[in-house]
Amino acid sequence: MRKAHPVEDLARDERFVRVDIQDRISDPRSVKNSRMRTQARLTPDRPDSADAARALMHGIFVGEIQALEGAGRTCWDFDTGDGRDEAPFALKLDMARQCWDEARHCEISVKLSDWMGTEIGEFSEGAFLYAAACNPDPVLRLTGVNRALEGLAIDVFNTMREFGEIAGDPVLEFCEDWMLADEVTHVKMGSDWLRRLTADDPERRKNALEFQRVVDKIFSLGGFRSDEDDSPVKLARRFRELAGFDEDEIDEIADLASEALEEARTRQEAAAALATA
Amino acid sequence: MADPKRPRAAFAPWDRRELPGSFSVQETAKRVGHYKWIEMRLFEVLGGWVATVPEIDVKLRLGTHCYHHAWHSELWHKRLPELREMNPDKLALPPNDEMVAFVDALTEPEAPELTIEKLVGVYRVLIPHKIAAYTYHRNNTSTITDAPTIRSLDFALADEFEDWRDGEMLIQSLIETDEEVQRAADRAAHLEKLMLAAGGIAGPGTIGDAYAEPQPTEVTA
Repeated sequence: MRKAHPVEDLARDERFVRVDIQDRISDPRSVKNSRMRTQARLTPDRPDSADAARALMHGIFVGEIQALEGAGRTCWDFDTGDGRDEAPFALKLDMARQCWDEARHCEISVKLSDWMGTEIGEFSEGAFLYAAACNPDPVLRLTGVNRALEGLAIDVFNTMREFGEIAGDPVLEFCEDWMLADEVTHVKMGSDWLRRLTADDPERRKNALEFQRVVDKIFSLGGFRSDEDDSPVKLARRFRELAGFDEDEIDEIADLASEALEEARTRQEAAAALATA
Repeated sequence: MADPKRPRAAFAPWDRRELPGSFSVQETAKRVGHYKWIEMRLFEVLGGWVATVPEIDVKLRLGTHCYHHAWHSELWHKRLPELREMNPDKLALPPNDEMVAFVDALTEPEAPELTIEKLVGVYRVLIPHKIAAYTYHRNNTSTITDAPTIRSLDFALADEFEDWRDGEMLIQSLIETDEEVQRAADRAAHLEKLMLAAGGIAGPGTIGDAYAEPQPTEVTA
């Protein structure tokens, strides 16, 4: 087996439909949908809340699959050691543990999807999450996946947990709370390994944090995740602090989300103008 | 209750543990080093295969089992310094080149249509050999002096049996034609020959010698 597995080769059964994130964002139908579906906090009184929650649940499910695949590849892709292009034994053990956690999250997501009235393949799959797990530098991979991507998972699970609480859905609230606990652990792993592996290499740390910024901006999904109270997914500041983020780092993610929102609006307006021209 | 000051035997009548064991400290460390090496190779490939298998149930099981074997490798890693090997990496080695050839062949399949080959290698060849090696070790080491190794072997064996059952049931559920039965058998035979050449996961003597003259049981004071 090769030491790197490209995103286009991710193995799926025939139910899954993959869509490129750029295609999805610039698709004129997305513009129309985004106008219909107001950018607002996910609450049961939103007219589209059931569909939005199901779509988010499906997004969580495919995200968990890719997180599992990414952690698994980190076990395989790197030789064991302390060299720059190697992964320490203890890091691989953490990634194997994460494989188990993500596999459980997939199982939980399948059961919850059924509970919420959706099924595998009802919504499309974007593979940008796994793409972040393909970085050839283990530190950048950990930073992109465990701090940026799993950080987003903290925000999403907290949002879904609150949605379950408000909607009076104890099953959803219960499951999301358990997954949230795992994600805090995964983000903390990323924070700890970033500090440990770059303790004597400030340039590498700088590159890793820059990669995290890029990934964080992409994962803000055009403002879908932000620090605003009315955003569909709100930054979960308290849980991010538990996972090793300091206040400045959380503020920076909030700023990136605002930038992403502005850029998405500009892109969507341009796409809409093109569609009506 | 009886008088608490009344002397009792150190070993209760039902406690049949004995001192003699087949392995010295050095021999035990060597075997444990081989165990760590093979558990590492196994968890790494299971993790790597997750992205290559399209069957969702198989994908999730591989992710779960990946952690089981990583944890076993950690158990062996921690046991080595207790066996006077302060540099665990020094003994985390394959027993011979033939075992390296076996692992190379085991980890070769990548294409999404090769799930049967991937699973057969792990669940019909490697894991049964691990169960055999761990069981032999467990039943032949000193139940008193080497109790920590026995405890780890018991934890590992519990996982191995569960994982073997999971994997075997996945294989049975994937095989639907005569051709697929043959594919599974061919794959198992190919890998079994390589394992035979290696002598087992700890090399020759992995499960003792069934043709050796029985040794009288040592009786210690």
